[in-house]
Amino acid sequence: MTAVRLDRLTKLYGATAAVDDVTLEAREGELLVLLGPSGCGKTTTLRLVAGFVEATSGTIRLGGRDVTREPPYRRSIGLVFQNYALFPHLTVFENVAFGLRRRRVAEAEIGARVRRALGLVRLDGFEGRLPRQLSGGQQQRVAIARAVVIEPDVLLLDEPLSNLDAKLRHDVRLELRRLQKALSITAIMVTHDQDEAMAVGDRLAVMGSGRIQQVGTPAELYRSPANRFVASFVGRANFLDASPAPGGFVLASGLALASEHASASAGTVMIRPEAVEVAAEPRPGPNQFPATVDAAAFLGASWDLELALDGGERLMATVPAARAGTEDWSSGRRVFVRVDPAAAVGIPGSERPATPAHHEETPR
Amino acid sequence: MVRSGLTAAGLLAPASAVVAVGLVLPLVLLFRYSLNRFVPGQFMVEALTAENYVRFAADPYYLAILRTTILMAVGVTLVCLVLAFPVAMVLARARGRWKTVLLLAVVLPLFVGNAVRAAGWMVAFGQRGVVGSLMEAAQLPPVTLMYTPFAVFVGILSVNLPFVVLTLSSVLEGIDERASEAALSLGATPAAAWRLVTLPLSLPGVLAAGVLCFILTMNAYATPVLLGGPRFRMMAPTVAGEVLQQSNWPFGAAISFVLMAVTLALTAGANILVARRHRG
Repeated sequence: MTAVRLDRLTKLYGATAAVDDVTLEAREGELLVLLGPSGCGKTTTLRLVAGFVEATSGTIRLGGRDVTREPPYRRSIGLVFQNYALFPHLTVFENVAFGLRRRRVAEAEIGARVRRALGLVRLDGFEGRLPRQLSGGQQQRVAIARAVVIEPDVLLLDEPLSNLDAKLRHDVRLELRRLQKALSITAIMVTHDQDEAMAVGDRLAVMGSGRIQQVGTPAELYRSPANRFVASFVGRANFLDASPAPGGFVLASGLALASEHASASAGTVMIRPEAVEVAAEPRPGPNQFPATVDAAAFLGASWDLELALDGGERLMATVPAARAGTEDWSSGRRVFVRVDPAAAVGIPGSERPATPAHHEETPR
Repeated sequence: MVRSGLTAAGLLAPASAVVAVGLVLPLVLLFRYSLNRFVPGQFMVEALTAENYVRFAADPYYLAILRTTILMAVGVTLVCLVLAFPVAMVLARARGRWKTVLLLAVVLPLFVGNAVRAAGWMVAFGQRGVVGSLMEAAQLPPVTLMYTPFAVFVGILSVNLPFVVLTLSSVLEGIDERASEAALSLGATPAAAWRLVTLPLSLPGVLAAGVLCFILTMNAYATPVLLGGPRFRMMAPTVAGEVLQQSNWPFGAAISFVLMAVTLALTAGANILVARRHRG
């Protein structure tokens, strides 16, 4: 097991920083997810670690080894691409054996290790097939087997699930997670899909404009995002302009909102939609506001409501269908909204990702 | 269905007519001529004889011409592929304005006709030519370049290179760059990644470009005539000589068919060879 350390890593294309002073660690055996919109620098970061892009400054360490100036073939990395990138002219067996042959592993051992790797991804018996004879999901599993069979120091996954359809994506991501834990291999995965990131990642690093915006467990990022960019990228959120007040905030409309997370520097209050309680009658407790239902959508397990507070603020609310019972949340209905003071989180005013993204994602 | 069939037929008709009138008909005629008898003074006498083919196969002079032509074609094709491959890779990976510039640089020589380019090589290779003067300045012993097989070789090479580069690069563009990146990540050096991934995947393009170059060389006319001089003979000039100078149409037609048959046979052979290797 090897930790991956990026220290003040920067990649400039001309005057634009695709990766801007990134310091980050993937701990031993951890699956770290780089999450961000396209063009945020996450793919460039991954390609820097892989060695396909040369760093402008900063260092990359695998274990204690500084590999910043090493070419890709001396780095001991396993790489899984979005488009699988299998060798189309080689059989499944030879695809998986490729890295072992480059390492001059004995023929008998190659056979055993390839079969074990294919067993791990449940493709026993597919040795003789060509990639074009496999489904997309099977091809991706071959790509995973090919990457892990060489027992790399770090497994790099570049949007590995994006080319798969929704059902398959769910299965493969569970399998990826299981495999990564079973092999206890340090892994860095790039994705723009927050569900995927939260499902597989031990920790997430949210990137925007080439910079790390925040690093933490999915729960940490969800509950206490460092800024509005992170909050909006990890889950859905309501953002209300507010100014700090004793015991909470005062909203722009003048409503007082009690909060357990008040901070003097906060200019915005974030409330997750599922933390907004909606009832027909007022109930005892703080943060009770009359409101009108603007739009209502029944999603099976829950209702999605758009509410207008009487002060003018607008709120999205997700109300469990079971709790809502037979209530009719049709638009125009008058309701009472309640926000748990623990769920009203102050975040710095209008903080966005540090600089707007001008650069393209790495050229393909 | 019927309508689209008719539309397709309508779209294909003009080209098909041109091919039929301009290629198939003359070929049939030429083949018929090749079976006629040549009687000096009488031009061409109707007959059904294989004597023209027998004459070609029995005369070491003509067989040597065929051998020279095949050797030249194989040699030019191999050197062309080696020289063109790196250029084609750069061209295939170039992007944006840089690509346009490169593409133009490759295509530009095609704007100048074969004969004009051969004339250019004559200037370079002549007694007091560019190469000769340079060697003199370097105090190297003078070498004869003009009217040598080497001059023809270089001349045809320069004519064919753009075609080979363009054919190769269009195939290389279709190869996923991530596949060679995957090879690098698995520990292959750039050379190994090229040999084990890029080259096998580009084989169909190598074949197409090689076949094109081979056919162009087998049928080369202007370059061998202008750079090879009177004593260097290849097939196409020989055909022209028989028809234009000797007025021996039957024998010229027979040589044409020998040239065509040999070209087709060797091309088909190469195709089968590569197809077998490609399948592993």
